[in-house]
Amino acid sequence: MMASSYSAKEEDGHHSGSAGLGGTAIRTRKPDNTAFKQQRLPAWQPILTAGTVLPAFFIIGLIFIPIGIGLFVTSNNIKEFEIDYTGTDMSSPCFNCSQSFSWNSTTPCRCVLFFSLDQPFESNVFMYYGLSNFYQNHRRYVKSRDDSQLNGDERSLKEPSKECEPYRTNENKPIAPCGAIANSMFNDTLDLFYIDPNGTQTQIPFIKKGIAWWTDKHVKFRNPSSSNPNLTAVFIDTAKPVNWRKPVYELDTDPENNGFINEDFIVWMRTAALPTFRKLYRIIQKKNNMTPTLPRGNYSLEVTYNYPVRSFEGRKRMILSTISWMGGKNPFLGIAYITVGSICFFLGVVLLFIHHKYGNRNNSSDIPN
Amino acid sequence: MMFYDLFSGVKWEVRANDHYFHQSCRRKSFLCFRWGRYADNVVRSYKYTPLTFLPLNLYEQFQRVANLFFLLIVILQSVPIIATIPWYSTMLPLLFVLLVRGCKDLATDLVSLSFLSFSQSILLNSFHLHRSLKTSHISADLLLLCSTEPHSLCYVETADIDGETNLKFRQALSVTHTELNGDSVKQNLAAFDGIVWCEKPNGNLHSFKGELHWKGERHLLDTDHLLLRGTVLRNTDIAYGLAIYTGSDSKILQNCGKLKLKNTQVEMLLNKTVLVILLFMITTALLLAVGAGLFEHRVSPKYDVVSVLQRDSSPAYLGFITFWGYIILLSPSMPMSLYITFEVIHMVHCLLIGWDIEMYWEDNNSPAQARTTTLNEELGQVGHLLSDKTGTLTQNRLLFRQCFIAGHIYGLLISLMLFSPLDLSWNRFSCGGLKFSDQRLVDKLRERSSPECQEFFTALALCHTVMSEWRDGLPHYQAASPDEEALVCAARELGWVFLSRTRETLTISEMGLTRNYQLLALLDFTSKRRRMSVLVRDPGGQLKLYCKGADIVVLERLQRDWPLQESTERALELFAQGCLRTLCVAVRSVPEALWTEWSRTLSQAGTSTGNQETVLEEIYDQMEKDLTLLGVTAIEDRLQEGVPETIATLRRAGLKVWVLTGDKTETAVNVGYACKLMDPDTILIQGEELRSENTDRRAVKSKAALVISGPELAEMTKAPEWGAKFVALSDQCQSVLCCRVTPAQKAEVVEMVRKHSTSITMAIGDGANDVNMIKTAHIGVGLCGVEGSQAVQNADFALAQFRFLRRLLLVHGHWSYYRICILLRYFLYKTTAFALVHIWYSFYNGFSAQPMYESWFISLYTTLYTSLPIQCMGFFEQDVSAKSCLCWPEIYSIGQKEQLFNPLVLAITLLYSVYTSIILFFIPMGILQYSALDYQTLAVTVQTSVLLTMTVEVILHTKFWTKYSVAAVVFSLVAFFLSTLALHSTRLFTFVDITKCILILCIIICVFQSNVIDLKINMNQVNIL
Repeated sequence: MMASSYSAKEEDGHHSGSAGLGGTAIRTRKPDNTAFKQQRLPAWQPILTAGTVLPAFFIIGLIFIPIGIGLFVTSNNIKEFEIDYTGTDMSSPCFNCSQSFSWNSTTPCRCVLFFSLDQPFESNVFMYYGLSNFYQNHRRYVKSRDDSQLNGDERSLKEPSKECEPYRTNENKPIAPCGAIANSMFNDTLDLFYIDPNGTQTQIPFIKKGIAWWTDKHVKFRNPSSSNPNLTAVFIDTAKPVNWRKPVYELDTDPENNGFINEDFIVWMRTAALPTFRKLYRIIQKKNNMTPTLPRGNYSLEVTYNYPVRSFEGRKRMILSTISWMGGKNPFLGIAYITVGSICFFLGVVLLFIHHKYGNRNNSSDIPN
Repeated sequence: MMFYDLFSGVKWEVRANDHYFHQSCRRKSFLCFRWGRYADNVVRSYKYTPLTFLPLNLYEQFQRVANLFFLLIVILQSVPIIATIPWYSTMLPLLFVLLVRGCKDLATDLVSLSFLSFSQSILLNSFHLHRSLKTSHISADLLLLCSTEPHSLCYVETADIDGETNLKFRQALSVTHTELNGDSVKQNLAAFDGIVWCEKPNGNLHSFKGELHWKGERHLLDTDHLLLRGTVLRNTDIAYGLAIYTGSDSKILQNCGKLKLKNTQVEMLLNKTVLVILLFMITTALLLAVGAGLFEHRVSPKYDVVSVLQRDSSPAYLGFITFWGYIILLSPSMPMSLYITFEVIHMVHCLLIGWDIEMYWEDNNSPAQARTTTLNEELGQVGHLLSDKTGTLTQNRLLFRQCFIAGHIYGLLISLMLFSPLDLSWNRFSCGGLKFSDQRLVDKLRERSSPECQEFFTALALCHTVMSEWRDGLPHYQAASPDEEALVCAARELGWVFLSRTRETLTISEMGLTRNYQLLALLDFTSKRRRMSVLVRDPGGQLKLYCKGADIVVLERLQRDWPLQESTERALELFAQGCLRTLCVAVRSVPEALWTEWSRTLSQAGTSTGNQETVLEEIYDQMEKDLTLLGVTAIEDRLQEGVPETIATLRRAGLKVWVLTGDKTETAVNVGYACKLMDPDTILIQGEELRSENTDRRAVKSKAALVISGPELAEMTKAPEWGAKFVALSDQCQSVLCCRVTPAQKAEVVEMVRKHSTSITMAIGDGANDVNMIKTAHIGVGLCGVEGSQAVQNADFALAQFRFLRRLLLVHGHWSYYRICILLRYFLYKTTAFALVHIWYSFYNGFSAQPMYESWFISLYTTLYTSLPIQCMGFFEQDVSAKSCLCWPEIYSIGQKEQLFNPLVLAITLLYSVYTSIILFFIPMGILQYSALDYQTLAVTVQTSVLLTMTVEVILHTKFWTKYSVAAVVFSLVAFFLSTLALHSTRLFTFVDITKCILILCIIICVFQSNVIDLKINMNQVNIL
């Protein structure tokens, strides 16, 4: 039946083809016989069948589970130590500091915490400070900065963006750096001492450069008129942020780490994504291959307690961590891989079972293409 | 002026030859403003001028709710306190949408501009006197003043207006006829200064009230004096008329009405879904705003770092501000660009229909044409196909194929391809075109050996209402019905040539011998009588009545105990089996006395009052009796090529095919069998059976078809619950045949099906009498056939042949449905999953409406990163090849059952998008929470995950990978990574190194599901087969 109708059609074509010779004057409206217009473009047509999907499930499962295990083991080998020094407890050494606090107190409050490491920390150790319950991602807070001022724009220095209100001007002088983020910069000082078994304390040397992102340090953050090395002169007509104890040009003595390009400042200005976060504070560099960076033993953490968190029930932590090829300690990643891999594998088994039991009758009829 | 007061509504004044009057009233236009009363005779189908384009187009575009909504969002964004993302994030997509849409509108408009140049050729204004020549279309509504015919008669064909093909006459007022005609017609006309008062322009084709004031006298005018625009002048050399209504004022254009915008079911469901999303969005924003209020109330006061920033605002106010902030943030879940993509896809699909070479018919050089660009996916969902018969299933080219004379059947019903024409060179009047082949008959006629045969053809040459026209020395016939034309032509070819007619005489040539018959009476055809007769006095002085009509009516009027009864009935049966239309031809010798008496009765009846029609019928009846059967003609209305195959395929595809025809039941049933509408063993349920209660059971038990006639239909539709019952019953049956239905009834049937079933109806027809039906159905298809272009002009799709319907529905329809459903689902998924991430993030940022993405990503997401792959899919995707679509019509039921786009599927899609958004946010968060996670890193990670997930989703859905699809996917990804690279530090990518694993992970989790779903769909499809 089909064949006959097709052949008839072709005859039609022949017939009018010969008739068309006479009527060349009439514009033919015959569509072009191109692959595009006739929807006959060459194409690859993958069909998802049990034969392709089932192996995919198994392969995914078989790849993911080992990766997950690898990640999990690596993560477990990473050493991490965390200590809370907020001082909410009466027993905590920092309790007094946390109680008697005001932003502008002139005498710094110090407290010392003792802790011990059960295992030595090999290679470079990263030191973080962590804050909890601190909404650095609140929209109004995130907006409260002036990027062009931080990029060294002279005009913005004199006239900061309106976004910085109410930390835009102080006593008719523009604030540098303006805005709530800068104003609330973390200003505790943390020092770490190793206590020898014989009782002597040795200060652990910190590296404070190289903790910010390269682009932040070199592209996004710049001191105004960088040609002028005298930062005091550059910031002459500006006010320091209200909560700061010293102006921005006195953050450090190193000119490469002072003013807007102070790395502690840059790290703080890169706002955190979640209300509980950590930020890189210092790096403790490996000394040599023989001794661990932080050997087993007792340590003391000396805190200059400046930063108030009690009002909003925040917590402050100090974290020491080694890193591996996959970054810091991260059990979640490995577990996620293992979970996904197992689910894939399990689904594969279930589907295989279904396919084996019920799929046979469909084998004969597949969709032709 | 008195007249003006008498009739209300008679307010239109036309003055002949008065240029000043009309010039002042003519409708003028400047930019988009128009004033004045009288329209030009130009049909303006374009909308814009360069100046009006921008405001008009913008105005139109902002009438769409979606666009207006986004304008609102843009305005909201420009309020600094609310703005959660920069103003350009929504502005860019909106501009993009407006631009694309504007270009499309402009393009459409330019196309109609080129149409304009066609109609411009007939520019005339109301005051013009107009001259129409023979066989020309009349270009305005004219008042007939005079014509070259006697009594200023004028014959017109109104096929383009009401579908009736017979000639109708119009007559001028006798006063204008006598005064204006003569040798100096032109001068007379130029001096004509009548004034016409008439109704304002309206669309009523069959009524006209007016009055001509001329030379101090008033003459009433009615519809008989009016030549309507669109009618064709026939048999009249020249007619002069006064243009009354021109251009858009003319009746036919007033009648066109505004094109009703048809919406597809899919689109309606989509609109509802968008509404649901909108409600969901507002509710969510409200809840989040409450959350924000609580946060500001409980947490902020203790948290001076943030509370200082709110500057003494109350929590309620902050919540209110946050509400709008979230409205902006969640607004991308409204698929704005979906509507534009939807339109673009529709347009491309329409182009593809026009480009399909397999739907191009060389014979009349016409490709398929999609005239409405919004109905494509509905082509894949048609459940009921309502078809006209004549000209749609059949060719409407009638051929004289067989005849039965004196016990012999002449002619063989063989395929036309095997047909060998007779040698008719002996006949100088032969024009060719006879598809009848039987040398025996020709021999008998030429040898004059069979008086029955001669009498038979004499009857055919005399008994008709055909007009002849001489061209190149050959007679050409114009007939009211194609049957008559076929018969008279056949008689001409075989030597009995109808030469000419006057009011009183008929001249025919019998084998070269010219004879004059005196025409005494013409007993006209009506659909009730189903026969016609002529009473003539032959050259020998004998009175004869020749009668031609439907077999039933003629056979019952024969003399009692007529010979050859059995063989005649056998012949009739044989013809019916061959799907031939049969007519019986009979003769009666009338005694002179009877004639004198009868003619007296007739003339009395002419003057009598009362129901003239029934009186005439009775009188005719008295004459048409005691007939002698001469023979039976069998005319073939050939089925169009491929009709049976097409109908069989469509039936396999699950379509219910109904045939609605004005033809008689027997023919319709035969055509029904012939075109495989019904199987040979199908039983017919008709007449009384339709009303009985146990019909349902009968229909279920065996194969059945319903046959119903127009009058029955009219009677039964009076019962209110009948329609539902009938449609339910028809679902059990193979098919439904509605015979003897009027154009209005056709539309009623369509309306009935629409009302009582959920399926999509499609009406297909070729004539003006199908226009109603075509307009009523969900989808109207017009065949560009023999009967003019009226059907095509009102249709949504135009085809050249019925058989192309198979490809239109099964291939283009199915593809469109599949593509559009997948596209819509993907779009909803893409936009909602994208927007919902903000909600999850808000739990971690104090409900402060902090966006999860960076602003550049928000603005480029829908326009640049994810638009091309899905559009490619919308253009090129083929779930099954064209060949498979045709070979396995069962696939079509996917659309009929709305399997790919129904509330359930949509709910699953939306739930899936919620699930995806949860994964997209919480997996990156979970993984990154252990590191010194900053906002930007999280944003970039989530962005990348979103984009990759969406791309993979498209990749998984695409089953037809052309080079364009690959290019689109590659382009999207490259564009994203390049812009991310350009906007961020490289450090981010070392972070991303880790994140990469995460991404793949997220994707795999999301993809899981779709894999399983795909597998399910695949298995479904397999199960169908």
